[in-house]
Amino acid sequence: MANIGIDLGTTHSLVAMVIGGEARCLLDDEDRALLPSAVRYDPAGNPMCIGYPALDAAGQSDGITFTSAKRFMGRSAAEVADEARLFHYDLVDGKERAVHFQVGERQISPVEISSFILRLLHARAEECLFGRPGGAVITVPAYFDDAQRQATRDAARLAGIEVLRLLNEPTAAALAYGLDKGTAGQKVAVFDLGGGTFDISILELQDGIFQVLSTAGDTHLGGDDFDQALAKVLLNQTGIEDADGTTFRAAVRGAEAAKRALTDAETTTLRATLNGQAVEAEIDRESFNALIRPIVEKTATACRQAMSDAELSPAEIDEVVLVGGSTRVPLVREYVAELFGRAPHCGMDADKVVAIGAALQADILTGNSELADDMLLLDVIPLSLGLEMMGGVVERLIPRCSTIPANATQTFTTHVDNQTSVDLHVLQGERELVADCRSLAQFKLTGLQPQPAGTPRIQVEFTVDADGILKVAATDTHTGTSTTVDVQPSYGLSEDEIEQMLEDAIDNAETDVDERLLIDARVEAEQISLHLAKALDADDALLEETEGPMLRGLLGDLSTAMRGTDRQRISDLSHKIDEVSAPFAQRRIERDLQLALSGRSTESVADDLGIPK
Amino acid sequence: MCVGCGAIQPPPPTPDPFEILGLEQRYFMDLAHLDEAWRKISRRVHPDRFAGKPAVMRRMSLQWTAAINSARRNLRDPERRARILATGNPDPPETRQAPTDPEFLETIFDLQMSAEDHPERTREQVSQMRDREQAQLDSIFTAWETGAGDLSEIERILGRLRYLRTALSQTD
Repeated sequence: MANIGIDLGTTHSLVAMVIGGEARCLLDDEDRALLPSAVRYDPAGNPMCIGYPALDAAGQSDGITFTSAKRFMGRSAAEVADEARLFHYDLVDGKERAVHFQVGERQISPVEISSFILRLLHARAEECLFGRPGGAVITVPAYFDDAQRQATRDAARLAGIEVLRLLNEPTAAALAYGLDKGTAGQKVAVFDLGGGTFDISILELQDGIFQVLSTAGDTHLGGDDFDQALAKVLLNQTGIEDADGTTFRAAVRGAEAAKRALTDAETTTLRATLNGQAVEAEIDRESFNALIRPIVEKTATACRQAMSDAELSPAEIDEVVLVGGSTRVPLVREYVAELFGRAPHCGMDADKVVAIGAALQADILTGNSELADDMLLLDVIPLSLGLEMMGGVVERLIPRCSTIPANATQTFTTHVDNQTSVDLHVLQGERELVADCRSLAQFKLTGLQPQPAGTPRIQVEFTVDADGILKVAATDTHTGTSTTVDVQPSYGLSEDEIEQMLEDAIDNAETDVDERLLIDARVEAEQISLHLAKALDADDALLEETEGPMLRGLLGDLSTAMRGTDRQRISDLSHKIDEVSAPFAQRRIERDLQLALSGRSTESVADDLGIPK
Repeated sequence: MCVGCGAIQPPPPTPDPFEILGLEQRYFMDLAHLDEAWRKISRRVHPDRFAGKPAVMRRMSLQWTAAINSARRNLRDPERRARILATGNPDPPETRQAPTDPEFLETIFDLQMSAEDHPERTREQVSQMRDREQAQLDSIFTAWETGAGDLSEIERILGRLRYLRTALSQTD
């Protein structure tokens, strides 16, 4: 099945896929690739429209258009209060909860808004393919933390999309540029300034491997900020104080158009209809530059940090690549040239390059990519992960810019006699104190045997997967009591909330839930059967005596079950096979590695294993 | 028992970072060579190579890749590399233990006393001390790699080096 790549942007989103050996953005009925990331709700909080119609109606008062929902993903109400005020959104109070917007009686989460955008893009791909696409690679800012990544994954789940991978935007762009074709070992900086997020990633390219050396950024900095600064000037000039949300959004729309015009023109007229009155103001590029310079200069801190983390000076960087619509602004280009001491490269469409990269990665993940056989992306986590210790200090387990997947184990103990439980507080950030880091999750390990303080040994294991998402496991090594948590973000949606939203969504779409779940179970079972049957034939020698007959027996049962409609039986058998075949799989991977290390060509090993070369 | 997946699965023992990357146990290491070995294995085990494979394969790929990534992270840092070799612990915990050796502490105390009056000279003396410790560390490992000498002093030297480096960075 064909996989797709989705760029879920702050202001615009796109979907792309590899068709006929080439990655392309898919177009809507009017041949537009960009979908404005805007969703409009009526005053009762019912969704009305998505994309251009939502954006066009933004200045009207018969509802509310949400834009820039990405800025609010995975955040708490307290964290984004200022930002919500800027956008004139009404937040639901609740410091300890993920942010929700109040519209009429309804509370709307940014995850829901994003899921509408994803669903529309997915539908666009479905039309192009005349059928359901496989999975999707969805891009996120490299600097997104765990909670923001989880929120993105939740949005996809809500939209009924299987996420193959969350891919960092600058890394996607590097892939799209095909930058690996230069000299081996060249260092590239990707400067990605979008509508609401800024990333800088530094990569080293070697024989098809795109290795991210460092990444830094700001998830609340982008072209939106230019528009708002300009809109405020307009409102001041026209003497409108305390503009309401509708008026403000109308001014922002005008400002955005003026900003675009100033990319090529030296001067332009800003036009907007404010409070029913047509307003005009002349603006030249010089005064626009003066207005946005302080915002543009905010990118410097992250750029310097990324270079220092990669242990490189500007002179050692071979190329600087621009990504994101906001890098069209002439001042941004000038400033990047100043920072890196070289003119940036901007050969590709800055709006589309991330989606193209996502489509390429989606194609690689089909396992039989013709375009990118030997390519591999090695990415990093943007922010350190740690645990709260006594006295409110953070113990770092995985430092920032560690290559993912990553894993770390640390042993801790109790500080009170006869303690039977410990609280674990997981944090992300660079500061020494808990209060200055982002709280990701809190959980409790219970069932400790009462012992004097300092005696128990509590082993905590952090694992970050290839999506940059953390899992934490804690074990009392004395009693063997353990608990594994999918980190439930402190500011994320709860599992119940998601389930509820999912049910609502499926009701709306009038899809037969059971039908879809049965299909999913069959697809998974099919995958397992094919793979295991091949492995059993190829590696008979690696099987323990009883394993072979047992696994073959289970495969037979599964194949019978797949012809029926008992979903539970299919997934039970799939899980059973998964469990029973684990030691066999482990042996095969170990053998594979042994062979790889002993210098046999990877091709012959790959042939043995049926692993893509 | 594993609450998450319901399956019984022993956590993989922390592998020797040199061994998992197919490298000789050495203190003196060419980082480019280390990265080359790491990239070669990454190509084989990275989760991208297991997309669409059964969950069990994906899980193993995740574990292996995480293991080679930590091995590389540990070996890139000369101090950690030294501690792995000296302690035999493949993933030694961070230590903040201050040196306890009385002679060393006395020298440090004297230096601290003179630091206020002669900051430049003190700095120079501290950096000479650091260089001496580093030279001693290097010569122990040089001997060890040719099969002579032992590594029992290494942890203590590292403790002093850490102390001296911190002192130097604070006077920057």
